Amino acid sequence: MNTLQEFFQTSPVPPNTLAQGLWWIIGLPLLGAFVCGVFGKKLGRANVSLVASAAVGGSLLISLLAFWAVNDVRTAATSAYAALRTPYTLAVDSGTWFAVGDFRVNFGLQVDHLTAILLLVITGVGFLIHVYSAEYMSHDDGYWRYFAYLNLFVAMMLTLVMADSLVLLFVGWEGVGLCSYLLIGFWYSDAAKAWAGRKAFITNRIGDFAFLIAAFLLVTLVAAFESQATRANFGFPGGSPTTFSRGLDAQGPLHFEALKTFSRALVTNPTPGGAVAAVTPDTPIATGPLKDFTYGGVLTAVLLLFLLGASGKSAQLPLYVWLPDAMAGPTPVSALIHAATMVTAGVYLFCRLNFLLVFSPVAMGTVAVVGALTALIAALIAFAQDDIKKVLAYSTVSQLGLMFMAVGMGVFWAAIFHLVTHAFFKACLFLGAGSVMHGNADETDIKRLGGVGREMKWTAATFGVATLAITGVLPLSGFFSKDAILHGIHQTELFGLPWVGPLVLRLGQLVAVCTAFYMTRLFVLTFWGERSPEARAARAHESGATMVGPLVVLAVLSVVALVYGLNLINGQPVMENFLGPVFEPARRVVSALGTVRVEHGPIGVGGYAQAWALALLGAGAACFLYLRFYPTRAGQQAPAAVAAVRRFTQNKFYVDELYELLFIKPLKALSFVLYKVVDALLIDTVAVRGTAWVTTRVGAALRYVQTGNAQAYAAVMALALVGGVAYVIVRFLTP
Amino acid sequence: MSFLDTHLLSFIVFLPLVFAGVLAMLPREEHGELRVFSLIAMLTGAALGVYAYLRFDPAGPEFQLLYRARWFDEAGISYHVGVDGIAVSLLMLTAFLGPLVVLASWSFVTERVKEFHIALLVLQTMMLGAVVSLDLLLFYVFFEGMLIPMYLLVGVWGSEDRQMAATKFFVYTLGGSLLMLIALLGVYFIAMPAGSRTFDYATVYNAFLSANRELGACRGDPAACATLSPLAVTLRTWGPWMFGACVLAYAIKVPMFPVHTWLPDAHVQAPVAGSIILAGVMLKMGTFGFWRFAFPLFPAATQEFRVALAAISVVGIVYGALMCLAQRDVKKLIAYSSVSHLGFCMLGMLALTVEGATGSAYQMLNHGVSTGALFLLFGFLYERRHTRLMSDYGGIARVMPLFTAAFLVATFSSIAVPPTNGFVGEFLVLLGTFKSDLSLVLAVLASTGVILGAAYMLWMVQKVFFGQVTHGENQGLKDLGGREVLTALPFVALVLVMGLRPQPFLERLEPSARRLVARANVARPGAASPDAELLISALPLPPAGGTVAKSPEAPPRLPLRPARLATPPSSPSGAPEGVRVAPASP
Repeated sequence: MNTLQEFFQTSPVPPNTLAQGLWWIIGLPLLGAFVCGVFGKKLGRANVSLVASAAVGGSLLISLLAFWAVNDVRTAATSAYAALRTPYTLAVDSGTWFAVGDFRVNFGLQVDHLTAILLLVITGVGFLIHVYSAEYMSHDDGYWRYFAYLNLFVAMMLTLVMADSLVLLFVGWEGVGLCSYLLIGFWYSDAAKAWAGRKAFITNRIGDFAFLIAAFLLVTLVAAFESQATRANFGFPGGSPTTFSRGLDAQGPLHFEALKTFSRALVTNPTPGGAVAAVTPDTPIATGPLKDFTYGGVLTAVLLLFLLGASGKSAQLPLYVWLPDAMAGPTPVSALIHAATMVTAGVYLFCRLNFLLVFSPVAMGTVAVVGALTALIAALIAFAQDDIKKVLAYSTVSQLGLMFMAVGMGVFWAAIFHLVTHAFFKACLFLGAGSVMHGNADETDIKRLGGVGREMKWTAATFGVATLAITGVLPLSGFFSKDAILHGIHQTELFGLPWVGPLVLRLGQLVAVCTAFYMTRLFVLTFWGERSPEARAARAHESGATMVGPLVVLAVLSVVALVYGLNLINGQPVMENFLGPVFEPARRVVSALGTVRVEHGPIGVGGYAQAWALALLGAGAACFLYLRFYPTRAGQQAPAAVAAVRRFTQNKFYVDELYELLFIKPLKALSFVLYKVVDALLIDTVAVRGTAWVTTRVGAALRYVQTGNAQAYAAVMALALVGGVAYVIVRFLTP
Repeated sequence: MSFLDTHLLSFIVFLPLVFAGVLAMLPREEHGELRVFSLIAMLTGAALGVYAYLRFDPAGPEFQLLYRARWFDEAGISYHVGVDGIAVSLLMLTAFLGPLVVLASWSFVTERVKEFHIALLVLQTMMLGAVVSLDLLLFYVFFEGMLIPMYLLVGVWGSEDRQMAATKFFVYTLGGSLLMLIALLGVYFIAMPAGSRTFDYATVYNAFLSANRELGACRGDPAACATLSPLAVTLRTWGPWMFGACVLAYAIKVPMFPVHTWLPDAHVQAPVAGSIILAGVMLKMGTFGFWRFAFPLFPAATQEFRVALAAISVVGIVYGALMCLAQRDVKKLIAYSSVSHLGFCMLGMLALTVEGATGSAYQMLNHGVSTGALFLLFGFLYERRHTRLMSDYGGIARVMPLFTAAFLVATFSSIAVPPTNGFVGEFLVLLGTFKSDLSLVLAVLASTGVILGAAYMLWMVQKVFFGQVTHGENQGLKDLGGREVLTALPFVALVLVMGLRPQPFLERLEPSARRLVARANVARPGAASPDAELLISALPLPPAGGTVAKSPEAPPRLPLRPARLATPPSSPSGAPEGVRVAPASP
């Protein structure tokens, strides 16, 4: 065992050498995108898919090395903000992007355990999906365009997770949104699909707007702190005000190390006997635009804004509406972008900023409640969807809600664990759905499928495994990750908000039942039973090896990922131990401020049994209803009340219509009215043409003055003279 | 210092005019020859512009490449040119757009080709001249001189309703700039005592400085108002009026809400060349006017009206975006988007933070590139279909993929998606606004432009490019040809270069921005900038007898760099240096 540990803790490439090569992880897919986009038409189909897959494959190899290297004990990055070395982190700083005044952003990457895990997910799942796409998209004219976009997406997603500052993260953040826009609207000739892309982009932009404001507030906050903090704030090893300021000059205020040092300095308790009062979260800000707000208060606002930003990208309430429509894109895209990677960016953001989030129980509670409500609502909507991809889309929204719950309760490692397992089984489900569509003449309505399992054995088997995983049946990874979340929530209490934990826990359990129900329904209706008479293709055909291969790999991964959940290292689950260094700063803040109370304890057998019972309850109900109950009542009219509920759910609770009515219509009307009334009428007609009209009239009137009559002129002159003289006399006579 | 260096700016400014003169002598039927000839003129100009840009030393003195000659001594007018960071950036933008404008009109203009190119070249001289002028009256001459060729471009080579648009444009802008002339005359009369009156920018600024400081003290402490110097008293009474006149002139040019209504009409009717120049360069003359004249000369009034102007800018941002949502006409939409974008430029400047002002200047360049590209590309489409209505398009992406790709790049630059250039500018402007003492509410409202921008641009893209090809005429449209690709490519390249490597551009703008902020903050109580950072050093008048001022030894270098950027400015040898004109004794 020790030899094994040593083997994994010794990177084959020296960490410093590898750090210099980190750009290649992004660079390869970027290069691939360029080649496919510019020369794609000339290269031909096979070459394009080869180039694109190879680019991501290359990234995967370097990512593996990076993953290996972050476990190396020699690996450490120097912090510019304190005389410290951050262990288990690869970092590279390639100089200025832009620097103006006090602000600076560098092109810098960093890979720690959190990033390393996500690198593997992105490049691994990404690679499989590229391979799958080679066959899936083989008949499409826009083949080269597709692979260029997909490679660009991978590059942007990698930028997002490897960025060492919020600004560079935002580049990836917007970049993935851009690629998502292009890929959702990939078949742009269909106006509805292009609209869906636009809807996704604009909804995301609402989140980005909040993200930007949060970032600007952080800049002002750090600046205020820099001027106000005392030496007492930097009472940790290596900390000092001058080092901090020097770091800000060198790498800017939005570098994650800067924020980390800031968070650490904000909770440093003054050393006993030290006379200088330190700045604490309750200190009012002394200077700048945020004067008189407290540091903690502004941080809460910042985090809530980040929540809005994250809810745009990660499809949470109130901005989740774009994700179901995003299914207009090709199915592998849905698997990669709208299930495995991009939509988890919000979870990643909060995990990255863990040391800020734990400052504010209010923000944490809001994140958790938003996540729980989203999870529940999406799960309920998924009950009544008949489109195979729509069910999976709502399921994604729901599962992301679970991750947000975990993040909100401070169980960061469980959120990431679920992120990973979800990436595997949900990608498998989406690709399986794609395979089903491929084999059934692009049919997506599960009511018109049925019995597909007989013809598509591999697809059915892998889909089955993934369904079991998401349902949370015992020996699969989904069980461990979901239970880690629920168990973590059970053990946690937010300061001042004791009701959040139990509420979220109950909602989470309810969601678990719902998930089991709708996933079982999906599986049963698609793969079991008789073939629907309305089916487009009489017989389904199994997809080729390049499509089935990734399915099998993903199905295997969704089983073996359970290793992360086993208590193998120091009595902790592997994932928790692994991510320990990443969430250490948060733990420090928590222990200083007491914002979160955690009771540690292993999951008992009772807990496992409860979770399993919940999963079986949902699955059993679905099996009963769709295998026994409904088939016997085919042709009978459903009761009116049931039909009404069903219609209400099927129409997604009319949320889209509500938004249309509340926001979009008024905005359009406002712009139209402003255009017609203010611009065209008031400014242009009344003011501008009015001035012209008055000028013309006055000119016309004055024309009569210019008569050419010498006597009249003389009379005016005389009058003016008299008037002038009178004025002078009056002026001088009056004292 | 070589002959080329002293005369570089004059070369750049008057080269197009000389070529226009030569062009006038060429036969009018030789369209190809005329086009090639003016392209060569513009390319030479662009090369010289790039040379000047590289020659400009970011760490050097404020104004460089100075040249001064006697002109109307009796009236205190001299020919005085020089560039600081923002001027040299706008100079390069103008010079860069020149050849592209000629290329863009290659097949667009078929009537009166000779006159068209003469107008273009004259216009180029006027715009470049306005940017480099360091004499109030010289600036005014160029500023007004711009109107005539532009009026002709819109009025002669425009679309169906060109006369109306040209007249509206002319009268609107002329009205504003006549007020500015009065203000400039006012400055002339009060700045210096009779006998030494001058229009020289540096002299006037330096003369105003101490009076403006007194006004700043007076704003903070009413007791200080009792002991104002005569000049300060005059400025206190008349400064706001002169400031107001300048503001109106520049606000029309920018254009700010509510004096923006000439812009959509002018843009819609203008030929593609007119639209590119209008959006790319001419609107910046307004923001440049604020930067060069209105804020530094009248800092007290600036402080007084700053919040109101910032509020108007934010209204412009949101209002312009809302107008876009109500348009059916592509060119009108892009025109209104300019109102929104220029609102960002104004806001960044009014934030009076280094980040905001630098971002504002960068956004001026970005807007020239992105909106210039949008007008250029739409011009290509208009040339093929002769309609501007969105409803006449649809599905263009299938017919013209290359064109669509270029248009999308320009679109994403326009809505500031990183890593395009628009992102850097917009980010800095908003950051500067958040850091400033303007209200957070204004900053948040301005940030909604981020959402609205995406909404209207992507809506237009959707209508024009996506969906089925619904109009038969669109079925056979040809994708971009070689000349068109050549024209569009520099724009696309610049979008990415300015997005990924903004620092070389920013480092020329930042010192200028720093000075702008310091100068506008002179009238803020407790402003601490020493005179040495504010006074403008420029050339003295050359001795009578026609010889030109020679630059003597370098003056003490101004402390440009903030203390935090610890690197000392390197001392390039042979950089053109100026002599400080002593501030006038009151």
